[in-house]
Amino acid sequence: MNTKNLFKKSIAILMVAIMLLSAVACKKDPQGSTGDSDQTGHKDPKNYTYNTYVSVSPSNWNELTYQDNNDTEVMSWIGSSFFIYDFKYDEAGEIIPGEFEMKYSAATKLEDVSAQYVGDTWGVPADGKGYAWKITLREDLKWQNGDPIKAEDFVYTMQEQLNPDFQNYRADSFYTGATTIVNAQAYVKQGQALKAQPASTIYTTYSADLDSKLVFSLAAPSDERPTEVYMRTAMEFPESYDAKAAADYLVANYLGGTAFTADVAATMEGKTFAEIKADATMKAAWDALIGWWQTEPNEELHFFLTDYTYPELTWDKVGMFVGDTEYEIVLVLAKPLNLLKEDGSLSYQAAYNMASLPLVHKATYEACKIAPSEGVDLWTSKYNSSVDTTMSWGAYKLTSFQAGKEFTLERNENWFGYGLEENDGLYQTDKVVYSVIEEWNTAWLEFQAGKIDGIGIDVTIADDYKGSSRAYFTPSDYVGSLQLQSSVEQLKARETEGVNKSILSYTDFRKALSLSINRADYNTKCTTSSLPGFGLFNSMHYYDVENGGAFRNTDEARQVLCNVYGVDASKYASLEEAVDAITGYDLAQARELLTKAYNEALAAGDIKDGDEVVLTFGSSVINETVQRRIDFIDAAWKELAKGTPLEGKIKTEGKEFGDAWSKDFRAGAYDVCLGGWTGAAWDPGYFLLAYLSPDYMYSAAWDTANTQMTFTMKGVGENGADVTETMGLLEWYDCLNGSEGAKYNWSATALEQSKRLQLIAALEEQVLLAYYSVPLQYEFSASLLSYKIDYVTYEYNTFMGYGGTKYMTFNYDDEGWAAEVAAQNNKLDYKN
Amino acid sequence: MYMFKYICKRIGLMIVTFTIIFVTCFVLVKLLPINTSVGFGEDTGKIIAQFEARGYFDPIPEQFVRYLKRIILDGDFGIGFQIPSYRGRPVWDVFIEKLPPTILINIYSSLFAVPVGIALGIFAALKKNKWQDHFISTAVMVFISVPSFVYASLLLYTLCFQLGLLPLSFSSFQHIIETYPEKNFVYTPGTFNWHLYFNKEMFVSTLPAVFAMSFGSIAGYARFTRAELTEVLTSEFMLLARTKGLTKAQATTRHALRNAMVPIFPSIIGEFVSVLSGSLVIEKIFQIPGVGGLYLNAINTKDYDFFMMLSGFYLLVGLAAGLVIDLSYGVIDPRIRMGAK
Repeated sequence: MNTKNLFKKSIAILMVAIMLLSAVACKKDPQGSTGDSDQTGHKDPKNYTYNTYVSVSPSNWNELTYQDNNDTEVMSWIGSSFFIYDFKYDEAGEIIPGEFEMKYSAATKLEDVSAQYVGDTWGVPADGKGYAWKITLREDLKWQNGDPIKAEDFVYTMQEQLNPDFQNYRADSFYTGATTIVNAQAYVKQGQALKAQPASTIYTTYSADLDSKLVFSLAAPSDERPTEVYMRTAMEFPESYDAKAAADYLVANYLGGTAFTADVAATMEGKTFAEIKADATMKAAWDALIGWWQTEPNEELHFFLTDYTYPELTWDKVGMFVGDTEYEIVLVLAKPLNLLKEDGSLSYQAAYNMASLPLVHKATYEACKIAPSEGVDLWTSKYNSSVDTTMSWGAYKLTSFQAGKEFTLERNENWFGYGLEENDGLYQTDKVVYSVIEEWNTAWLEFQAGKIDGIGIDVTIADDYKGSSRAYFTPSDYVGSLQLQSSVEQLKARETEGVNKSILSYTDFRKALSLSINRADYNTKCTTSSLPGFGLFNSMHYYDVENGGAFRNTDEARQVLCNVYGVDASKYASLEEAVDAITGYDLAQARELLTKAYNEALAAGDIKDGDEVVLTFGSSVINETVQRRIDFIDAAWKELAKGTPLEGKIKTEGKEFGDAWSKDFRAGAYDVCLGGWTGAAWDPGYFLLAYLSPDYMYSAAWDTANTQMTFTMKGVGENGADVTETMGLLEWYDCLNGSEGAKYNWSATALEQSKRLQLIAALEEQVLLAYYSVPLQYEFSASLLSYKIDYVTYEYNTFMGYGGTKYMTFNYDDEGWAAEVAAQNNKLDYKN
Repeated sequence: MYMFKYICKRIGLMIVTFTIIFVTCFVLVKLLPINTSVGFGEDTGKIIAQFEARGYFDPIPEQFVRYLKRIILDGDFGIGFQIPSYRGRPVWDVFIEKLPPTILINIYSSLFAVPVGIALGIFAALKKNKWQDHFISTAVMVFISVPSFVYASLLLYTLCFQLGLLPLSFSSFQHIIETYPEKNFVYTPGTFNWHLYFNKEMFVSTLPAVFAMSFGSIAGYARFTRAELTEVLTSEFMLLARTKGLTKAQATTRHALRNAMVPIFPSIIGEFVSVLSGSLVIEKIFQIPGVGGLYLNAINTKDYDFFMMLSGFYLLVGLAAGLVIDLSYGVIDPRIRMGAK
């Protein structure tokens, strides 16, 4: 057979095969679709399916290793909580807006047993409270396959969570967060060799036999060595201070005229303590240095780095074990938690910090372990990554999962909650179907066709659908801000002939940029339903959670906004009215400030006549939404420049920076970005870290350690006296949070919240007045809910949201909904 | 014999080219800085420890040798680490599970586009400069100029949403399993699952994407065929054929078409080879869980194992396709002999 005939025949066979397959595919199925399910609603014989969608498929809903919110989409259905929030009802049985109550769920009892663990073994202080907790589990907890759940399962899971062979992604939840289990970090890091760690974090006491292990360093952290000595941390030196700058600072401010000089410091850099002691010049410099610094024993360690290998540690040294009965879990914590109120009832923190502990089904988990391949030391696990490897102890169980396409969850009949009287009439949903839909436009068509039951309102349809009877609006603690570059060195470094950027380092220029943006207009045109933002915090940030105290609604916080935006509060009946009058938009003042900044820059030689100001606007990606925002701001700044020396000379250019966009901005790679923070909404005092710590702030070059603030804290001194101090902003922050080494302890446990407010407000004002972070939006998202379902309330509750699936009710069962959609010709109208 | 030598030589060159590009890809991707950033208040040390345990800080040659050994000895292409949808999953399993829908919509699209495109091209060539030709040529220009995602959106809105003639999205396996309970379909993660694709529900759900992908190809084939055939039809040998007594239809099908196909046919083969690459936008719009976008995600997230596996695979496919296309010239036109002097 020659090649030509072979080829012809191959093509012919291929064509016939494909045609046959297509013909088979087109053959009518005699059975037709059955989609019936033998599942029934919770005490309701009809079938109720909740259809929803995600844009990114979850991949790993293993509690020990999950990485992002996509994964928690599955986790939230298949787990349970020890303690839960619930709505609070009035006497008429109506939900009280904004309030909540705490309830036991998978646990039946919580006790503070700190007194039993006082002593060196666990580090619990003699009068310590909140350090050790005993959680008593319900005795009817079961896995989806009926296997019982006892305290030992939680202990086993924690041991696996902290297993050093796995380096599980969520292990740090138990040593960096609020729930810090005694020796959790030491257990997970055992055997780990660390290079160049601050000696003070490794050793608690100094002795001469450590000398050869201790390496002197004043150097700043770098990519290669991301650590610094404790002295630098305590002095709050920014990363821009290299070893020489640090030494110069010490000589100029504390050690002038002593044997410690910058030159000797350079010689000491990288030397061991033993080498320093052996050299007379370095020894003299060291003596001067430690003589100035040391007030307590062992503070020699503050100047050294050291290599360290975590020692072996047995599990019995870790603060989690089974209690007296097989249903009791005992947790011993390194930091106390206030899980109970004075009256012994659950505090809000019980469901916030101790809602649950990780739990895996032992047999399944063991079967899912994957040994490392050659040359790799890391064990991995495929637990909770498919239907076969997933076990639920929650209200629903995973019944199908196709990565990147769809997954379904159905009622877990073995869940303890279905047997509870308090859940009668609740949990109407039988089945949850998640589709993975990347494109919002596709999801929008599916929603209108009745295929999915909820969708966020995109800005492109906002005008038509924001007024819909099915629209609801959800507040968020996210404050979207314009971030302006703080590194004058980097701004100058990126200037070219005729292109100026360093004028951005003038506060008046930044303030002008802020005042030129009409925030109300910005939010109308560039967001679906967000509100104009003026402060670092919005109404979702609570300073007093138990009593529903929102920071933004306090007089202190309102006064801050009046001060920053120049509103004379005395002209209004109340501070609330004065704040309502703030627009953040004053083009005339903005132009004056711009001209002033320009003239000052011209006089200082920081800008040349005729220079253009070109600001690079960076983002991870520049999609339609981002471009719309850039265009709005660009137009605002062009308008600002009219009638000023920079008329026609302010330009913006968009640029994509991918995943590293925030890191690049902090490093000074570009000039402007839109960014903000979410999280820690119930602790605004702590949350200020995002705006003041060089580790987190966008304006990384702003020296918050040395930006001084003089402030009087009222009623915090002895006998209620006022305390007036002048300190760096970061030092004030440390006092506010009772950080180690801080001059005062005004943390939430040491000072009543109403008194802390004044300092939180003062620090917020300082950040706003620096104009590196310019708030633009208090985020609100708008969504549409299908006619098929209803939430129990449409007034958002911080603790309960809208009640979730537990309270969700169906207006149609599956059959009824299909008929309704068909009657509407598969096109549902949500405009009204 | 010369053909055999030629093929051996080309395969040898392929191996050399593959090795150079593959090693370059490995070195370049490993030279990129490792992202060790974590969330607010999390421990950076955990990420560093993970990378270290995975050997990412070892010398690159050492990592490369280990990587090759793992592939050759264990058939292990690694585990996804960074792409959010596929973390912790074997990269090969993810890839082969996602290949079938991509292959199917591309094959269906080619089966639809090739005959229609060629037929329109022939028709336009035969009606050269008449209104039919002008109509087809204008339509061809429109369809070539408009990108496929525009058709995709239009088709989705009109055929699927407004008219309800076709489903809005590609069927899920669960839907197929529930639709055909009597067939006892089983979905096995990490395998091709071909058995779940050949049924009416799945076929119909591919049609919107198939149509969206076809329009551009139809226009391309029509234009190409018209141009080639028009040129051949005016050749002197066609005049000779007619003077020998052949009818226009006979002369066209027996002589003109055959000659016109010489440049067209390799492009058809090329299209079939490219079915493995997928279309990012089309797959997103119609919710097709295919491979389109996987490579881009691997690069964006610096998922080394996904990146290297996909680089190797597409590199191999690309090089093989070049060879197959070159060889196909000789099959179509016996006068063309690769490697002959």
